[in-house]
Formats: sequence, C-alpha cells, structure tokens
Amino acid sequence: MTVDDLVRRVGDWLSGKGADSDVVISSRARLARNIAAFPFSTRLDDEGKAELENHGRKALEKSKVVGPGMYVDLFEASPLDRRLLVERHLISKEHEQGASHRGVQIGEDERVSIMVGEEDHLRIQVLLPGMAARDAWGRVDAMDTALESHVEYAFHPEFGYLTVCPTNVGTGLRVSVMVHLPALVITQQIDKVFGAVSRLNMAVRGLYGEGTEAVGHFYQISNQASLGKTEDEIVRNIEVVVPQIVQLERAARTALLEKDRARLEDRTWRAYGMLRHARMVTTEEALTMLSALRMGIDMGVIPKVSMDALNELFVFSQPAHLQKMEGRELEAAERDTVRAAYLRRRLEEAERN
Amino acid sequence: MMCEDCGKNPAKIHMTEIINENEKREYHLCEKCAQEKGFGLVKQHFSLSELLAGITAGQLTKAGQVPDVKCPSCGTTLAQFNTAGRFGCPEDYDAFAEHIRPRLEKYHDATQHVGKTPRRGLRPEGLSERLRALRAQLKQAVEAEAYERAAEIRDELKQLQAPGRAGAREQGRKKSAGD
Repeated sequence: MTVDDLVRRVGDWLSGKGADSDVVISSRARLARNIAAFPFSTRLDDEGKAELENHGRKALEKSKVVGPGMYVDLFEASPLDRRLLVERHLISKEHEQGASHRGVQIGEDERVSIMVGEEDHLRIQVLLPGMAARDAWGRVDAMDTALESHVEYAFHPEFGYLTVCPTNVGTGLRVSVMVHLPALVITQQIDKVFGAVSRLNMAVRGLYGEGTEAVGHFYQISNQASLGKTEDEIVRNIEVVVPQIVQLERAARTALLEKDRARLEDRTWRAYGMLRHARMVTTEEALTMLSALRMGIDMGVIPKVSMDALNELFVFSQPAHLQKMEGRELEAAERDTVRAAYLRRRLEEAERN
Repeated sequence: MMCEDCGKNPAKIHMTEIINENEKREYHLCEKCAQEKGFGLVKQHFSLSELLAGITAGQLTKAGQVPDVKCPSCGTTLAQFNTAGRFGCPEDYDAFAEHIRPRLEKYHDATQHVGKTPRRGLRPEGLSERLRALRAQLKQAVEAEAYERAAEIRDELKQLQAPGRAGAREQGRKKSAGD
C-alpha cells in the first residue's frame, strides 16, 4: 500500500453507510499519548525527534496494533502526499505542516491512523462512517491497551495521561462527530444550536478541525473537557447531544420541504446544473454546491446521484486529490478547470448508471 | 440594618470580636467604614468572576508577577509555560502542579483524572522503558543541578535493578526470543 493507492479508491469512512448517515458523515475518537522516556515534542531537537519517531514506529510495528497498511515518513514525503493525507482526514494540518521527523501509520481500510511525532508523541485515531462514537472509542481503547505493553506512557496519578497542551490532559480523549447541517443554516437556527452545544461543554469546529472554517455546512462536534470524566462519560455525552442535533436538522429539512419546496428544488437543481456544466470550479464552490446537492438527494428532490458517488466527489474534488489523479502539480487556475472537468465527467457517468 | 458607624449605608460586615471569655463586641458596618476601621477581611465575600479574573491576571507574564518556578527536568519555566500554553516534559506537571490546577479547573471543571489508567505491570519491555526514562531524567536532573531530584531518581533506578527484578527480565527475554 502506498499513498498513491489512496486516489484509486474511497476511504471506508466515506462509504455513505453507517447510522444516521443522512446527517452524520463520520465519527472519530482520538487519544493523545506521550512516551515517558522522551521530553515532549516542544523540547526535542531534530535529532531527538528522529529518535522519537524511530522509537514510536518500532513500537507500532512490534505491537501490530494497526495491522496491514502503510507507514508514511512525512519528513520525506512530498507536500502533495502530505496534503492528500489531510484531505483524507488521516493526519492533522499541524502534522502536515510540521518541520521535522514525524510520520503516520495508516491501516489498510483507512479507519485507523496513528500519528507519530505530532504535538503529542502519539495520536491514535479511529474514523468510522456514520454515528459510531462508541465503536470508535472501543477500537481506539483496544489499540491503546495493546500498545501499552510496548511503550511506557507518561502518566500522573492526579492528572492522568500527560499531554503537551493542558487542554488534552487526563483521558487524552477527543471524540468528534462530523455532521452536515445545511437546513439548520438555511433556517437560521444554527447559532441557537451551537449556543446550546457550547453550554454543554462541547466544541464546534470546521471541516478539518481546530481553527478551520465550516465550509459546505459541515461541522465537527466534540467534547471540550478531557479531564475529570471517564472515557465512557465523554462518549455518552456525545451520544446524547449529537442525536438531538440530528433530529433538529431533520425537522428543519422537513419544514423546508413542506413550506418552500420550490426554493429547495431550485437550490438543488442550480447546484446540480453548475456542477454538471461549469467550466471552472473552485474548491469552495465545489463544496458549497455538493453540500446543496447532498441535501437534495437525501430529500428526494433530485434522483440522479447516489450518496456513495457524491461522497467520493467531496473528497476527490479537493486540490491534492485532483493533482494526484492528473499525475502532476497544477496551478490554481488550472486546478479549477481540471476540477470542473472531473465533476462533469463523474456526474455524467452517474447519470448513465 | 444600617451601618452603626456612619448610619448612611446598609451594614454588610457583621463581626463578633471576642475580647476575653466574658466580653464580646459586635460590629455592624458598611464596607467603607469596615475598611476604614482596618478590618482587612472585607474582601472575604469575593465573587467567582473576581476570583477567575485574579487567576487570569496571575497567568499574565508580567515580569515579577509569575513565581520563579522551573522544571528540574527540562528547564521549562512557569513563565514560559504561561506564555506558550505548552509543557516541555511530563515532569512539568509536578513542578507546576499548584499553578496549573486553577487552569485545569477552568478548562475541564476538574483536576483529578478518573478515566483509564495504564496497567503498568512493568512487563519486560515496560521495565526497560522505565529504566530508560529514569536514566534520561537522571541525566537531565544532573545537568540542571537538581541534585535532590537526581538522588531520588538514582534510588528508584537502584530499586528497579535490584536482584528480585532480574527474574522478570530474564523471563521476558526468553519470551521475546520465542516470538
């Protein structure tokens, strides 16, 4: 398995299956862990980071927690490969942009990835399609336990698992669920919902995590506190909050359909028309239009495209995916042309099927 | 009840001074008069927001305001941590414990971990890891001239390397040789 293989298939978490997949795209659980034998990344020079990466990588190999897949040396990897892994949600932006020795172990089905040498020495994550927070936590927990026989974690009886940033300390657990909330945005209820969510000590972030914008009405909802609660409680809180948001989004979609069907249909078909015929499309435009199309498909106002095909378009219309498919680097303007051509071609194929 | 001193403001400070076993004196004063009379406890009834503001102010790195605390292991100072919000090594948590608790409380509403704990059975690989960690810490402590801490680490190293432990290591070697 190589990074190039990723553009020849769709990540498992994008399958469009899973519980509540009309609103919930994916569920992720990640654990932050540090190895006691090393200072934190903030105090490691290049040599120390190389040693840490080597140490972490060996522990991963020995423990076999990830199973078949690949290890990507991100210090050696091309910027394009690194970008591709971000678009695929297999590494964080911070890990993409790091300046020294670091890497990522990726499982074959892309459900599992372990970043080595990110802010914390190890970031273990499981990404599953649909609402599956508990399942994701269960898998991460098992991997963590297996790894623990091969590395000694930095742990403190009072503060728990020690992390570089005090916001991750304790369990080191962040559970986040990616949701698609176009109807709540259109009906202007989104701020109210997020106000309620943040009062429940949950955080709302954009598509690619911390500090990113909510393009295409995609949001990540995650626990704020990692200390003072058991992992089970953290998962349970997510399991209580997310279904309520799902219900609100569904209610808003139904209301839109009942009250303003013409506008909803128009919105969907305009998006479809643009994606099917435009000659230049930016990343953001593609996301916005695909978002409108996704809701239209879910509500049955446009029968043409399957959810699987659509999910693929979301990821493959991103810059690194396009350039990988073309097999070369593209200038921004050229990229927009290639993106438009790709979208036209795939939608035409979908129409014929 | 009005302030017994000025009679203008409501009495907010009620105190009983015990002069001796049989003699007590009660005071009912407004805040202003209480302060003038030198009852320094007037600020007792602080609000939560004042408390939090105090914490935030304490975290600002105005020179001289932050206590001069330094991690004996990696040399990170409390002032550096306050500025960057990032720790330098696991030992920082102990070195800065009393200073980070309010911060953790604010962010997590808690300071005590209640979740998963490592099994720490010190399986063979775990033991060598621990030894490695301790040796690294010992080196750092010596470099930082934290001799007291260095002595503690040396004692722990001795204990881990005591003959009683050798059996466990030997067993581990056999097991991994069989893999």
